[in-house]
Amino acid sequence: MKGIAHFISGVAAASFFPWSIRAAQDGNPLYLVLGGAFGLLPDTMDFKFYRFFYPHEIYVDPDPRQPDPQQIADAIAEGMKRALREKKTIRVKLNTIRLGADFWRQYGIRFDAEKGEVSVAIGPVVNTGQVPIPGTLERERTASAALPCRIVQTYDAVTTVDIFDGPTFAFEPSGDNEVTIHFLPWHRHFTHSFTLAAAWALLGWAIWSWKAAVVIFLGYSIHILEDQLGFMGSNLFYPFTRKRRAGLHLMRSADALPNFATVWTACLLIFWNLVRYGENLLHRISCADLLIYGGILPLGAFYLLLRLARRWGGRVEDRDLDLSSEWGDPLIG
Amino acid sequence: MVVVNVIIGACAGTLASTLLSVLPGLHVYNVIGLLVMLQLTLASHGLTVGPEVYLPFMTGMIVGWSLLNTIPAVLLGAPDESALFTVLPGQKYLMFGRGYEGTMITGVGGLGAVILLVCVVGPLAPRLLPPVQEVMRPHMHWILWIIITYILMSEWPKGGNWGPAGWRKFMDAWRSLGAGLLTFLLAALLGFILLYRSPVSSAVAFQNIMPAFVGLFAVPWCLVNMLSGTRIPRQHLTESLDILPEHVLRGVGAGGLGGGLAAFFPVVTGGVGGLLAGHATAQRDERVFLLSQGVSKLVYYSGAFLLLFVPGLGITRGGGAWMVRTLHTAGTYGDYFMVLAAMALSGAIAFLLMDPLTRSVIRLIEKVDYRVASAVALAIISALVYAVTGWIGLGIAAVATGIGLNPVLFGSRRLNCLGILLLPIACNMSGVGHHVAAILGLVK
Repeated sequence: MKGIAHFISGVAAASFFPWSIRAAQDGNPLYLVLGGAFGLLPDTMDFKFYRFFYPHEIYVDPDPRQPDPQQIADAIAEGMKRALREKKTIRVKLNTIRLGADFWRQYGIRFDAEKGEVSVAIGPVVNTGQVPIPGTLERERTASAALPCRIVQTYDAVTTVDIFDGPTFAFEPSGDNEVTIHFLPWHRHFTHSFTLAAAWALLGWAIWSWKAAVVIFLGYSIHILEDQLGFMGSNLFYPFTRKRRAGLHLMRSADALPNFATVWTACLLIFWNLVRYGENLLHRISCADLLIYGGILPLGAFYLLLRLARRWGGRVEDRDLDLSSEWGDPLIG
Repeated sequence: MVVVNVIIGACAGTLASTLLSVLPGLHVYNVIGLLVMLQLTLASHGLTVGPEVYLPFMTGMIVGWSLLNTIPAVLLGAPDESALFTVLPGQKYLMFGRGYEGTMITGVGGLGAVILLVCVVGPLAPRLLPPVQEVMRPHMHWILWIIITYILMSEWPKGGNWGPAGWRKFMDAWRSLGAGLLTFLLAALLGFILLYRSPVSSAVAFQNIMPAFVGLFAVPWCLVNMLSGTRIPRQHLTESLDILPEHVLRGVGAGGLGGGLAAFFPVVTGGVGGLLAGHATAQRDERVFLLSQGVSKLVYYSGAFLLLFVPGLGITRGGGAWMVRTLHTAGTYGDYFMVLAAMALSGAIAFLLMDPLTRSVIRLIEKVDYRVASAVALAIISALVYAVTGWIGLGIAAVATGIGLNPVLFGSRRLNCLGILLLPIACNMSGVGHHVAAILGLVK
């Protein structure tokens, strides 16, 4: 999920405690701030710290003037060969191709388990909004390389590389002539574990109080649970578990609807908690009022208008959400 | 007669905003401040202008300005704070020769915002907002802290993408993040100084923050334009805009949320609201982005002004409302409907003016060197700051420019400049502002 969804979920969790609201009302917003901050912290640790120290055995750096798809495909296949040969996990970093302040050359990688090959296609130039620049793709240049073994994919077969940081693949020997492909091995690893949530909570207890520990644990844990709705999953009990547990495959982190629904629901919950713990309120707001005026009416009206707009003017083509949004998006979650 | 006055007032205000909005860096609140001072001076001499004239006039100015100010924001790259999110994709459109399209798409968003305010917010606000305000009133300050925390935590590294793992990569990534945090803190320090020991004369207290905002947001862009020697490609004037009703609806939804949030919560500006709504709705399409920023800006300025008149609500948000409150006690349905009518009228007029004004400015920037245009813009801005706040104001603007250049040079978020308002006000609302000012040596 996006950062804001995690953040506001943490705040919503903290708002369920009357002491948290009362302290905020008295000028101490600590518990609510901690809820939000720790709701976002797992990704902060990954994207602002850990990934810069994560080592790779192979770096693939395509030539910006003439990117060669064969070179990329060969480097990936070589990574697998090394993993088999050296019987250890080999991490391959695919760098992005930056062409200017706002321009990037896109390329895509596809692992084909049936054909036993990896293919690479050089795509158009895109801007930082990942919108292709017209006229920058005369013809798609592709190349492929044979894979040296069977592969087990834990994520999608197709990956697009374009803006900011490129992806990492970890090739782990996982059986007789078999390699398991891990996507972004540095993400959602030890930082996305309930064990670390508990450790942070203990630290919060030592610094502040048990109340801080509760909101820290909840904010952090909700992030992990929300991420578990997606594809990649998390390493839930590191160091007791060593691998990420696959997600429920219900959504992608960049999907607009679940993100918005989470933010909206969290806001309604916070408001409801403020109503519950509010004192001497003149206006009576019931749960039904909140559901009707805060949920059913605005969202229902928007849905009806959306249907009308689509009937009248056609449907906006939603671009396929590629996996680049999982690591290259500055609004990442 | 009242109806005629309202129509004339709204039309005149909108036309006045036309001139106002194409002058880069000049904020509508600066002019409203001058008008309020003029009105008070006239009143002291026994000359009065009725609220049925000056309220529609000011409404027309605010609505017109928040719609038409898109033109310099996109075409001259001299944005005010609330437009800073529009500038990036807007300037992209400009550099692809699609400045007209970018401006008009943002303008469509503004028109959508007027419809949203008049047709949706107008009828519902008197019923829904007072209970919401009653619940939220004791909680405004911590919500501000939550927003500050999110702003500071949600900026992601743009560097550190190449090279082997290690500290070098980490430092490269943290260059922009560090600059962002430093900008926020320096801006906040300037905010504390202006709040507790403002060198600006109390006679122009309305304009206290103006030189700092000009320095933080407008001057850096002018300087960068002048130094970089940007050449504007030939602009293509399209017959139609590449948007569908669904784009507009999505833009209005996201921008309405962002602008509404900014209008309702104190100190939260259009830029902050736009950021939060953009993240919450996970926008990826640049057209929706431009539309939503047009909506957010108009809802922020006009919505905040409208809140002053919502019967039974009793809140004042935004500089315009605070200044008008010194002239007029609002709260009747008559005032409320009058302001809504003025908004509808001025929104329609301003939108109709967008096309010819945009074409004129495009003709201008194609003829005049962009560096020269930026230098003229800078001269106008400086002259305005000097006229309103004197040499002291220019000094403040110079200091603020130093801070405002940080994000431009290091590629961090310009929104961090809003530390100038966010941190001092949040500290004050939590009751620790005076204590912090004492630590900084600003008060005893």
